[in-house]
Parts: sequence; C-alpha cells; structure tokens
Amino acid sequence: MTNKQQTNILLPTNEDTTGPYFPTYFSDESYEDLTQIHSGVIAGPSGQNIILRGRVLDRNGKLANGVLLEFWQANAKGIYRNPSSENHPGLDPWFDGYGRLRSTTGEYTYRTIFPGASKDRAPNITITIFSDGINRIVTQIFFADQKANEIDPLLKTLSDQDRKRLTAKYEGPSPDGADVYTLDIIMAGDNETPFFDDFLS
Amino acid sequence: MTSIGRQLSIGKTDNTSDQRTPRKRLRLIPADVRESFVPVIPARAVQRQNEWDLTRIAPNRPRAEGSPIEVKGTVRNESGTLLRGALIEIWNANHHGRYRHVEDHSGLKLDENFFGIGRVITDEYGNYRFWTISPGAYLARPDIGRWRPKHIHLSISCGSSRIITQMYFPNEPNNASDPMALLMGDSFDRNLGKPYETKIPEVDQGYDFDIVVGGKNATFFE
Repeated sequence: MTNKQQTNILLPTNEDTTGPYFPTYFSDESYEDLTQIHSGVIAGPSGQNIILRGRVLDRNGKLANGVLLEFWQANAKGIYRNPSSENHPGLDPWFDGYGRLRSTTGEYTYRTIFPGASKDRAPNITITIFSDGINRIVTQIFFADQKANEIDPLLKTLSDQDRKRLTAKYEGPSPDGADVYTLDIIMAGDNETPFFDDFLS
Repeated sequence: MTSIGRQLSIGKTDNTSDQRTPRKRLRLIPADVRESFVPVIPARAVQRQNEWDLTRIAPNRPRAEGSPIEVKGTVRNESGTLLRGALIEIWNANHHGRYRHVEDHSGLKLDENFFGIGRVITDEYGNYRFWTISPGAYLARPDIGRWRPKHIHLSISCGSSRIITQMYFPNEPNNASDPMALLMGDSFDRNLGKPYETKIPEVDQGYDFDIVVGGKNATFFE
C-alpha cells in the first residue's frame, strides 16, 4: 500500500481561486443548519444546539464578500463520521458533521451542535475558506471556557495570542435555546488568524 | 517531509488576492491531530435533470449564443484512485463574458438562453462529461487593461477529496497575464483543457480535462 502510493503519485491539478461568482444557486439549507434534517421531518442530531457567527475580514478590516465556508466537526460524542469510524457505536445517524455556506457580505451564521471532544482533544470545528483572490485556506476553531483547551495538542503549538484568535466567545443563549458563539476570521494582516497547512503537513 | 508550512503567494495585479492572502506562513498540523483536519463530504448532493447540458436552460429550449463545447475527463486523487460519484459543480460566463450572478455588475450582455450553472456526478469509472458554451474573456481590471482569460470554474467534492479549480483554454492571449496562471508557473499546463475533435454534431469542439485532486486529505484514509 505504502509502496504503491510512493510510486504512483500523479501531478495534481492546481487549485484556483473561487472567483467572486460562486453560484448561490448551489446553496443547500441542510448544509447551513446541521441541527435538523428538514423542517418537516422529526429527526435531528443529539447534542446542544449552537449558533456560530462572525465576520470574515480582509487585510484592511473590510468584510470579505462572497466567501464560501466549509465546516467539519465531530458529533456530540466526539466521533467523526469518516472511514476510520465505520460501524462505531457512537455515530449519530442524524449527523454527518459537514456544513457549507456562501456568505454574500462576509458575515456568517452557522447552526450546528456543540462538537464533542474527541480523544485527547478540545471541542473544535475545522473551517475551510474558499474565495476570490485565494485558494483554499484552513483553520480550526475552539470554544471559550473549555477546560480541555489547556491540554489540546494543537492549541499547545500556538502562542497565547494565536490561541485567542481561534477561540470563539460565548455570547449567551439565543431565544430558541441555542448557545451563541462569535468569532471573526481575519484573512491577512496584523491580527491575522492562524491558518494551517493541510495540503503538505 | 515538510518541516515548515507554505508561504502563500499573492497574485500580481489581483487586488483581492492582496487583501485576502495570509501573510504569515501556514502552520504545520501536528500528526496526532491530523485526522480532525480531513472533512469527509457526505454523498447526498442534489442534482437536477439536464444539468450536464449548460448550452440550454432546459431540454427543448433554444441553444445559447456562442460556440457549444464538450468537456470531459476523469477525476482521480494523487495516488491514482478513480473518484466515483464525485460531485462536480460547474459555472462559467456566457459568450459575452457575463455571469448570471446577482453580484456581477459588469453590465456585459446577458443571454436569455444561458444559465451558466450546472452539476454532474462522475460515473463508476470516475468519468464526467458536460456541455457548455465556450465562455467569453472579460476585462477584469479596466484601469490597467488586464483581462481574465476564458475559463470554466469547477468545484469537486468526493469524500475527503476536495478542490476548487478552473479549466483554461490553450493558446489564449490573456493566459500569460492572468495572476493565478502566473502563480502556477509551468504547471499551468495541467489546468488547460486539451482540445480534441468531436464527431458529435451538437458541439463545435471537445476538451479533455482530467482532474487530479492533490493534497494529503485526498489520500488520508487510503
């Protein structure tokens, strides 16, 4: 298997910018709100509903319009739905963990459940940003007041300041009982969000 | 083996790239948290009938203006695995270089018969095929006279394989000054559709565009 991978590497197609016109036509509400399958169906994942919202800002502090955000997280029990968790008893039949939304203005509001902590980790959500002017950039965000933040092996690699830049602030409950968290993502500049190299590392 | 994260490059003459490209090096992901960085996109994508044919809004509607083309190819990951059931989302400008997008304020001409948005799914051999209208180039930076060359946007999602890219056309005069093409350097060739003669009377020209989804995520679970 390893040999095969080493000897059969194809040259990848280059990533390219999404451009300003990613079709809003491709939007799918079920990817923007993971707390329910559909408003007419009695089904939904276990866990505490949350609303994650914030702004995506550019180097000048301006809203980055037209960004496409993709989210990835574990279910309430901390289990990711991926090939290594096949048949895991902790999988939630109503939760895949993948979300996507395109923001016209650069502000985003995403509904999901609070991610469970997977083994030795603090609860987190991976966010991939596609937009005009860049190829994919990737980060992973955390939640305020989680004890596990202190021992998280990814947060441990970062400075105090960078940890803060990745920690969503708790704003209290929404009228419908979801916990509201806010986090701004700063694509470039002095207060830049840390981004991670998921392509090579 | 990488011991240092990439420093992303800024596209020359691309203002948005200047505003949005991170200035710090990307951070390396520690091996023990690597799996958490691999989104696995569920295969529940919607596709409506006839979305493979962008040359008409619907069957029995008139053909859009311009030159109808066919684009086909395979989708694989870096280790050569064919990606079956991959969702390909497609969008391209019309013959005049205009997108039917509420945020395209260029004022270029819309075509009544062109929607410019489609979706296809790869078959069991990783093959895809669609028809569209050969897109127009458009002036991206009127102040310096820089054009965006003809291109088709493609967004591919299949499990842990994910890429957004563009297919360009060979021998286009504006390829040489495109900021993103410049960043690709010699490997820009990989993003060119390869023309082939087609016997299908409905299209003027065919382009082969084989897609290889790179990066560690695409092969992480192999």
